Amino acid sequence: MPAEEMGKLTNRIRLVFAVSSLVFLAVLAISPFKDYRREWKQYKRSYLRFAQGRPDTKKLIADYSPSIDQIWLPGMNVVDRCTTCHQGITQTSLSDKAVPQPFRAHPAIPHNVRDWGCTICHRGQGPATEVAEAHESTLAWEQPVLPAHFIQASCGTCHRSDLPQTPQLTRGRQLLGELNCQGCHRLPGIERPAMLGPDLSSVGTKVSREWIYKWLKEPRTILDKDGNVTVNGYETEDEPRMPKFRLTEDELRGVSAYLSAQRAKTLVPYKITAGVVAAWSKNPELASQGELRFRQMFCSTCHSLAVTRAGETKLIGGNIGPELTKVGSKVNPDWLVTWLRDPEGYLPHTRMPRYGWSDEDLYKVTQYIATKLTDSDLLTGVPQLGQPTEQEIQLGHRLFLEKGCASCHVIEGLNPQKDFGPDLSALGGKNASELEFGAAKIPHNLVSYIQAKLQDPISVNPAARMPQYNWNQGDLDAITAALLSLKGAPPTSALQNLVVPRKEVGFHPTGSFAEVYERYKCYTCHKFNGYGGDLAPDLTYEGSRAQRPWIVDFLKNPQTLRPTLILRMPQFNMSDKDAATLAEYMTMVLQHPSANPASVDVKQFTPAMAALGKQLYEVKYQCQSCHTIGGSGGYVGPNLNNAGGWLTPAWTESWLKNPQALVPDTIEPRRNFTENEVQALTAYLMTLRAGIKPQKTARLSGSSTVALGAGR
Amino acid sequence: MKPRIWISSLLLLALAGISGCRKHAETAKIDPLLSAYDSEADWTDSQRVIPLGYQQAQGKRIFYQHCVWCHADATPAGPSNRSNLTPVPPVLNDGATLNAESDEYLQNIITLGGSAMGKSAMMPPYGRMLSGEEIRSVIAFTRAIAQPPYQPPGRPGSQYSAK
Repeated sequence: MPAEEMGKLTNRIRLVFAVSSLVFLAVLAISPFKDYRREWKQYKRSYLRFAQGRPDTKKLIADYSPSIDQIWLPGMNVVDRCTTCHQGITQTSLSDKAVPQPFRAHPAIPHNVRDWGCTICHRGQGPATEVAEAHESTLAWEQPVLPAHFIQASCGTCHRSDLPQTPQLTRGRQLLGELNCQGCHRLPGIERPAMLGPDLSSVGTKVSREWIYKWLKEPRTILDKDGNVTVNGYETEDEPRMPKFRLTEDELRGVSAYLSAQRAKTLVPYKITAGVVAAWSKNPELASQGELRFRQMFCSTCHSLAVTRAGETKLIGGNIGPELTKVGSKVNPDWLVTWLRDPEGYLPHTRMPRYGWSDEDLYKVTQYIATKLTDSDLLTGVPQLGQPTEQEIQLGHRLFLEKGCASCHVIEGLNPQKDFGPDLSALGGKNASELEFGAAKIPHNLVSYIQAKLQDPISVNPAARMPQYNWNQGDLDAITAALLSLKGAPPTSALQNLVVPRKEVGFHPTGSFAEVYERYKCYTCHKFNGYGGDLAPDLTYEGSRAQRPWIVDFLKNPQTLRPTLILRMPQFNMSDKDAATLAEYMTMVLQHPSANPASVDVKQFTPAMAALGKQLYEVKYQCQSCHTIGGSGGYVGPNLNNAGGWLTPAWTESWLKNPQALVPDTIEPRRNFTENEVQALTAYLMTLRAGIKPQKTARLSGSSTVALGAGR
Repeated sequence: MKPRIWISSLLLLALAGISGCRKHAETAKIDPLLSAYDSEADWTDSQRVIPLGYQQAQGKRIFYQHCVWCHADATPAGPSNRSNLTPVPPVLNDGATLNAESDEYLQNIITLGGSAMGKSAMMPPYGRMLSGEEIRSVIAFTRAIAQPPYQPPGRPGSQYSAK
């Protein structure tokens, strides 16, 4: 090879070397460049620029750190680097909505981010340092950030008892209970009632096989084309308790045959005195008199009826018992009479109270129900089924167990399958890979899965046995939040120690009070020591609040002055003895320690004190804005016309000092009265007496607001 | 020719190194599911739904518990108590009246009551019943539903918008 050629070659090699060294340099520079361009570092620099434009730059810069910020709480399994980008999370000056994310401050909540981290509530991947990895689920990370709409689920993971701040979660837990989900699923923390669905041991004596067929095919509740839930064709906002099972014609015939053959207790019809029947059966007023009694007894507090007003038909009444618009076409008339006289004789654990009936009332009301609350078209479209064959009954028996009917409905001698549905006690903590999505075209995450399963169980699993429910969006989200809150046993002992357990409530009276209390089912509407319904005022301290003669009077004649009110205390036709038993127990036992009726004697009040109290009431504190005395005043609080005949002076004094100490969720504002003012106001209120009873307001069905009854 | 291919292939490799291995997962897309607790239908136009933040939603809860009876035209228990009162209290979304009042003023009148602020004694004080934070949340809810809409007073620097 000639020398000059070698030189040329050398130059070329030099060029190649030069270029490749440059390329190597560039390649080596990639790493620091990539490091410089990292997502979290960009947010760091962006925050610095942002801080420069703020009025409190100095403080923001002083709190700034250029490195990765990490909250490490080993006891709680928390390694959260979220604050690396969410740098203003604890800066109160950055709480304004105009502050761009991720720099905005966290809204004020009872938990400090430094003590709790972020992922305990928000989920997502704490150790990740990239936006997508931290928030969403990737192949390597399984938990996406919980959408803020369901954030109350996280409160519920530790707070097993209900919090006022989490209405969505509370509603969801309530739905899980009301819809009897625990019939098939294990749901820790959801109270299991003594009876889930009605006991069907003798259902054959109550309804016809055709009615059962229709009910199973289309449980009265229908979702119309606009998405409105209707019961018997009438719109309602309540979630129906009986879901729809997808049964074939043969299955419908089988189950209806099996159920119509259930006659464990033979029906012994109650014979209404011949004299009463003779006197009333030909009377054209019979049905209208029956309707009047039906109204006077306030059946509508628990049962709704379709009522047409101004051309619009609506269900009016409570939802504790079933809707009754067409019940006359449903039940056997002999059964109806027997049932009304003694509900527990047919159905143990029923919430229906036992009224004190006269034969005359019983005849009028049952005739009204049987002749007016009817629909001759109720069973249209139901084929003539005839007598059930042995084969059909066998099929029905098998299906009753297989479909899970037995999980909610008791039938004597039938043992339901244990743990019929999947255990849901840790559903809320599941990773996407543990879920079965089937052919459903939905995002593969837990929230979508739960919602798809609830709305259409077979969309994610064609073999699902779960029945069909109708949800409105709010209830669907509430129940989703409640399920998301169930994450099973906490993974560490530190977290276990943080769990606020659900309060065990119970009220176990004894003696003659217990018998009367159980007969009238007082706990269906009233609370005692935290146990019972919330339709009517809490009676835990009724003995401190109300004077004994007033209690007796009210129990015997619980009339109110409010004609617009729908839900009122039923008229039980209570005997003097029963009323005395209840009043005796209340005044002896249902006492608040700080309001002992014996401690304040009404004789100590002078007319001068009462006059001062009247002035304070009317001028200084203007209590009339919420309370009515005579013909004027507001209706927010109870009417005080008869305060002196109703309330005990000791309760009134304690109440004025601190209402929330006596009834924690009362909306009566806690004022700053002096001792003298408390006495003067009490003296004035004790002078108020009238033959009329204080009016009470009960909360409307389905609303989440507190009742405004006496003392609320 | 050969070196050019070399160089370009190296450059391509380098580019791939810079832009590669970024994982993008399927995003959990949830429609803004609107239900009662974290949204409020505009009182003057029920078709318009106002989304509520955490604080505003807490304010809504407290409002419907304590304030709705006198500061709204319809209440969960039926008719409003407003008509029983003189002077008639403002409806909570009455922006024409309430937008002019500062947060501090509203905080004071809720905490101390009407008479302490030279207004009607019919407005009771809530300072012994609700915490400062709870009262602030009610004000936040008031601002969120105001019609005409509430404009917070301008502050230097608050107009900053990132990126």
